[in-house]
Order: sequence, then structure tokens, then C-alpha cells
Amino acid sequence: MNTYAVEAKNLTKRYGEKTAVDGLNLRVAEGELFALLGVNGAGKTTTIRMLSCLSKPDGGEALICGRSCQRESAAVKEIIGLSPQETAVAGNLTVRENLTFMAQVHGLRGRDADARVEEMLDLFRMEKTANARAKTLSGGWQRKLSIAMALISRPRVLFLDEPTLGLDVLARRELWRAIEALKGKITILLTTHYMEEAEHLADRIAVMVDGRLSALGTLAELEQATGQSGLENVFVAIAEGGAKDE
Amino acid sequence: MNRIRAFALRNWKETLRDPLSYIFCLGFPLVMLGIMTVVNQSIPANAGLTIFRIDRLSAGVAVFGHSFIMLFAALSVANDRAGAFLVRMYTTPMKPSEFICGYILPLWLMAMAQAAPIWAASLAIGAATGVSLPIGGLLLAWATLIPSAMLFIGIGVLFGTLFSEKAAPGMCSILISLGSFLGAIWFDAESTGGVLLTVSKALPFFHCTKSARSAVALALSFEDYGRPLLMVIGWMALILALAVLAFRRRMRADLA
Repeated sequence: MNTYAVEAKNLTKRYGEKTAVDGLNLRVAEGELFALLGVNGAGKTTTIRMLSCLSKPDGGEALICGRSCQRESAAVKEIIGLSPQETAVAGNLTVRENLTFMAQVHGLRGRDADARVEEMLDLFRMEKTANARAKTLSGGWQRKLSIAMALISRPRVLFLDEPTLGLDVLARRELWRAIEALKGKITILLTTHYMEEAEHLADRIAVMVDGRLSALGTLAELEQATGQSGLENVFVAIAEGGAKDE
Repeated sequence: MNRIRAFALRNWKETLRDPLSYIFCLGFPLVMLGIMTVVNQSIPANAGLTIFRIDRLSAGVAVFGHSFIMLFAALSVANDRAGAFLVRMYTTPMKPSEFICGYILPLWLMAMAQAAPIWAASLAIGAATGVSLPIGGLLLAWATLIPSAMLFIGIGVLFGTLFSEKAAPGMCSILISLGSFLGAIWFDAESTGGVLLTVSKALPFFHCTKSARSAVALALSFEDYGRPLLMVIGWMALILALAVLAFRRRMRADLA
């Protein structure tokens, strides 16, 4: 039986009368960079929350590397990393201390933790800011630190919720380079509002509309299916089509 | 244990690197010690008012200092909840009990450390004003303050869990004022008597002050020391249990 890095089986989440995610079926292969697109309120963040054990589904099942988020959450938490939409760093700790803290929370000690911290500083080119307090960093650097903190445990699956939201063009490009460096090494599921981001980074793209999966495929496949050129046109066609279906 | 240590160290550094923690947890109690000593010097000897004499004042100020530790406990929890930091932490293998211990441990150490400069200043003031403070009494008071510190930290964690980062400091301010008043830190509740004494005795703060004061004076009868200390321990157990329960429920709700 084939085990996927991320698998959603008829995943459903309701908040009162509103169905935030409605019967989502999704499979992401190991090493794939998968982008989840959608307008505000489409259900992207709720999906990430269910896949990263932060929210219990009302129906269906979420599996990470074959392990159930509901029944085996402790095991799932050992193999995932999450960089939330808001930058979640300890402001009064330095970059190095933030990374060491997360390494220790994941059970690393002494030289092992130090080595992993150096690896992250090197990967994200943060050596020069290693001793700066996180709250003094720019938004782009804080976001890089946030992703480095999510990666320090060497997760098999990394969730990036709007990783470049609010960043300027240069900071965004810098972060893209860091994410690209991870491609193929781990599975990445990212949500974004930026079409060019998904176009640039993702192997496959899913579009969510009103909590449902409206389209899924490579950019070429989506272009062919919609008869549109470029992800922005594809997205608009799918999103408006989804709205018309209501 | 490794995770508790890591989280406690993070909270320790976060609090110690906030300049406000020195102003409130250290500066303010020391200033109050100085001001009340000046007030004491202004009271005529024949008034028979000893509440501000350093051998009685020091323990009260130490308890007063704990109320600011409570404020920082509430801020730590409420701020982590307000941002995405706790969300990130929920995706790690950390358990609810590890979060609670990681919040309480560093603040408890700070509360214990906070007594040292208060005792040192009290000894200096005592030497300057001709009032002797027994070293044994101060050491015993230090140990006596352990449950008091835990009680205040428990209230802080409870407030930080129940209220937002904007509401929690306000709630703490109310309790700082009420606690210092009903804790009989700035007046002699037992001489006043009446409803005020009844209300004071019904709350834990009076017993915190009384047990610590009795320890400093080495007045160790059950009435003066044993009973108030037992009351503090009982309140501490209750408040900590409520704080743990509230935090677990909040975490379950966050992960629903």
C-alpha cells in the first residue's frame, strides 16, 4: 500500500452553521512541494490546522506519513514542523536561543542541539544575526527564523501558512530561495495568496473554494483544464466557477 | 524534563530581559520599603503603631513583591496565547503539564530571589534605625514565602489563561491593590477587627503576610505561624489546581 506524506480523507470541519472545510480529499507525495490556494475564508488555514494536529476534524481523517492526526497525534508531532501565519518567535530571545530552545523541546541536547542550530543558521544565512534578539529583526528575518524553528527537528512534513505574507519583494525572494533549497528533501505544504509564489515554488497546486477542493494539478494541467494561461487567470476562472456553482 | 527545562529557560530569559520586570518586581518593593520606613520615622513613638517598623514591614513588602510576580505570570501566559507562539508549541511534543511547570518554575525562582534584596535592605534599614532583625527569622521567612510565591504565580497563570493579554494585567492590578490592602501589609487588620478582619481572614493574602511576619519575629506558635501557614498552603493547592485545570481546558478548547 502506498503511504503518502500527507493524506486527507473526506476531511470536514464545521464552526457552528458554517462548514469551513467540506469533505476534502488530498494526497501529497513524499518530497513534494504542494501549494494550497484560495481566497480569504476558503478553508486553507483550517486545513493546515487539522493536518498539524491543531484542530480536530468533525468528519473524515487526516494522515501524516500514514499516522492518524486524531489517534496518533504524539507520533505525528514528532515528524511535522509548522510555521504559523503570524510570526511565532520568542521576541526577547536571540536567533540562536530561539533555535536552541526549539531543538531542546524536540529532545536534542548539547552538541547535537548546537550542531542543528549551526545547520539552520547556515541554511538560512543567519550567522550575522545569530546573536540579535528576535524582536529587533525585520519581518523577513523573523519569518526566516520562524521557518528555521519549524525545521530544526528535521520534520518529514513542513507546513508553511502564508510564509511571505506582508513581506516586501526582496524579503519574499530571499525566503523563496530558502524554501527552494528544501525542495525534494522534505514534503512541504504551503498556503499562499500570492499566485507567483505558488507558480514559482510548487510542484502541484490545489485551489480551495468555500471549503471544497475545486481544482488540483500541476500548473500545466490546471491551464489545460481551464483553458487559461498563467496561474492568476487559472485561479480566477476556478474561484469564479466555484462561486457560480453555489 | 528536558522540555520543561527548555521552556522554563525561555520564560526565565523572556522575563529577565524585560526592563519592566526589574522596575515592578524589584524597584517598586524596595521603594515602598524606603517610603514606609520614612512614614514610620514620622509616627510619634507614643502612638504605639508598629506596622511600618522594619521588623514587621519587611515580610509584608516581600509578599507585596509576589503580587508583581503574579502580574508577570499572567502576562507570560496571556501574551503567548495572544500571539502564535503557543500555536507553534502545540505542534511540538510538549504536554500540558510541561507547559504549566515551564511557566511556574522560573517565576518561582524569581520570587525566591526577589526576597534577597528586600531582606538585605531591611537589615540595612534595621541597622540604621536601631531595630534588630534575627537572621534565623529572615531565613525561616524565606522558606515560609515558598507557598505564598506559588499561590501568587498560580493566580497569575489562572488570570493569563482566563483573560486576554489586555484584560489580564488589569485584573492583576485590581488584585495587587486588593491583596496589599486585605493582606494587611499597610495596616494592622487585627487591631482594626470587625468586618475588615473577617474579610481579610477569608482570603489568602492576610495569611501570607501573617505567616511571614511571624517567621521573621520567630513567633512560632500555632496561632501566629502554624495556622496561617496551613491556610496559605491550602489556598496554594486550590489555586494551583484551578490554574492547571483552566490551562488544560484552554488547551483542549484551542485544539478543538
